[in-house]
Amino acid sequence: MKKIILLICLFIVSTASYSQLSGSIESYGAWYLDDAKIKLEPTETDDRLRANSYLKLDYSYRNFTTGIQVESYETKALLNYSPKFEGTNLGTFYLNYSNSKNTLDVTVGHFYEQFGNGLVLRTWEDKPLGIQNSLVGGKVKYKPWKALELTTFYGSQRNGFATDLSESTLFGFNSDLKISSILKSKSSNYGLGFSYVNKHETEIDVPSAVYLVSSRGFFKRKGFSFDVEYVFKSKDALVEFENVNPNYLFDGDALLLNLGYAKKGFGVNANLRRTENFGFYSERKLSRNSFNQALLNYIPSITKQFDYSLTNIYVYQAQPNIRFEPDGNKAGEIGGQIDVFYNLKKGSAFGGKNGLNIAFNTSLWHGLQGRYDDTERKYEADFLGFGQKFYNDYSIEIRKNVTKKWTSIVTYLQQYYNAKYVEETVGEVNSKTVVLDNLYNFSGSKTLKIELQHQWADAGFKNWAAGLIEYNFNSQWSVFNNNLYNYGNADSSKKINYYSFGTTYSKSATRVQLSYGRQRGGLVCIGGVCRFVPESSGLTLNVNYSF
Amino acid sequence: MKKILIILILLSFKNYAQEIPITALETVDGDSISSEIFMQQSGKPIVLTFWATWCIPCLTELSAMNEQIDVWKEKYSFDLYAISVDDNRTAKKVPTVVAGKAWPFKILLDTNQDFKRKLNINSIPYLIVVKNGKIIFKKTGFVKGDELKIEKVIADNQ
Repeated sequence: MKKIILLICLFIVSTASYSQLSGSIESYGAWYLDDAKIKLEPTETDDRLRANSYLKLDYSYRNFTTGIQVESYETKALLNYSPKFEGTNLGTFYLNYSNSKNTLDVTVGHFYEQFGNGLVLRTWEDKPLGIQNSLVGGKVKYKPWKALELTTFYGSQRNGFATDLSESTLFGFNSDLKISSILKSKSSNYGLGFSYVNKHETEIDVPSAVYLVSSRGFFKRKGFSFDVEYVFKSKDALVEFENVNPNYLFDGDALLLNLGYAKKGFGVNANLRRTENFGFYSERKLSRNSFNQALLNYIPSITKQFDYSLTNIYVYQAQPNIRFEPDGNKAGEIGGQIDVFYNLKKGSAFGGKNGLNIAFNTSLWHGLQGRYDDTERKYEADFLGFGQKFYNDYSIEIRKNVTKKWTSIVTYLQQYYNAKYVEETVGEVNSKTVVLDNLYNFSGSKTLKIELQHQWADAGFKNWAAGLIEYNFNSQWSVFNNNLYNYGNADSSKKINYYSFGTTYSKSATRVQLSYGRQRGGLVCIGGVCRFVPESSGLTLNVNYSF
Repeated sequence: MKKILIILILLSFKNYAQEIPITALETVDGDSISSEIFMQQSGKPIVLTFWATWCIPCLTELSAMNEQIDVWKEKYSFDLYAISVDDNRTAKKVPTVVAGKAWPFKILLDTNQDFKRKLNINSIPYLIVVKNGKIIFKKTGFVKGDELKIEKVIADNQ
């Protein structure tokens, strides 16, 4: 590894006058401190001071770019990250050539890629979720003409640091053809896509090759859009609690439909999806692992993504996998969501002097209707059958500039959450959440934000109340105090106020946040992918700088 | 290894006017275009703001600029692109959100965040101003009132 970094250093120094160095430094640090209500698990108390830190450097010289990412998890990684992230080491390295029109793009080393909607393949990086699932090998992207793009790769997947790889090899091919460009259609846009991804993983009595094939198409005309993708997954062994069972082999598939219509001031969008046995990992024994390691495809929960703390207590997570359990069988999910956006113009009856934005969303998810035999480990699912209800929600968000200086957002969310199936724990929860978010601008960037939230729930954590107050002295400095109080919890020892207060400094490409307080335990979700974090208290320091 | 890293970090603090990296972006019509387009428009400043449909401060930033854009367009010569980093969970909503809010911005999609990653952007909202292919201004986060700072950068680079 030292040799690789040394070579990169020498290359930089020797070509400094024709070139460019850019990069970033990110650090998420915590000093875990016990308080009267929240204490660190005894197994974690030896390392109370921890930070996940990343140094990324990219160096470009004419059409070539090379780079590294060094990662440090000292003294240990933050709570509940994969145990593979320990110490300091090289995380990624790559060398890329791209011509100026970007019609030829070649990468060796670590790379990220997505085919289609990500159902067949997506590798990406999301540090707060612990997702660092780049591929390592070679990738070529070629556009012989404007309407056609071809991509192929061969390699393995990162599972830990740069040279810790999953025990499988991967090959992928993708093509996207925009037919409307060939036919020179001016009023419509339409095209087709095809992808193939093969994983080769040797294991006794189990198919060594598991492949996914995707076919898709899209059509857009005058504000109307439609796209569809179907993916087939070949047979793979059932994995239960990290045990690969070669006696039970299942294939799987996924169907995704998106419909949309938009014109100025109005937009409506519907997303429908059915998945059956569709989890895809670079090591089958890591199927459904809680650290999101070895993920090869992207199956986000298709529900509205909220940005407020209480609207993220009962977060739906996609259920694409098989699970045999008496009174808890599942083999996938079926459902969808509808979004409506509407802008009431300035000066209209309801829009008032400054106009009004309305956003409505509803989503519904069920398990697959079918016949399940958990003793024999067999099932047969209907293609369009709605089984056990997993999740349902309705939300409305109204955004209004009350005056030129005062903006108000009101959100109402109603949810049904089946914890027994979604979390594989017990119970069902019905909740209602109201958020009132106010932003008042005094002058310049001097701004006060007051956010009030309440959640009523008939089970689970029961009732919550929350409030955030944030004051920006200017565009650089702000202070905040946030409180989430679970006052309705049936267990009196869990009636905890998760308070925090802190300050943020932000200038140019630098952002530093220092805070003290309590972190609620539960799921941290970004883009519909979640990571469980235990509750904690203490001091946190986050630093972001890019150059 | 530590020494090597220190050398690299020190080199990085050299004051570069960073160039726009080349990568593929997508239009809402499904066309693939190269980020080279930001290098071709010489003379006038190009504002690129990175946002997502689920990011409240990003929506605040775009709404604030939407309120000013007619005045800015009358006074200055510039381009503004709102680059969505929504992944495929929410990317399909981008045209409907933009239409629903009646935003006049040019919209591009960066669904697997390749452009964001190449620019070393770690959080959104994040705004850069490009002139003659070089990044002349960077800004992380947004609070109401910051649009005046953005206007000043546009005005100073006419």
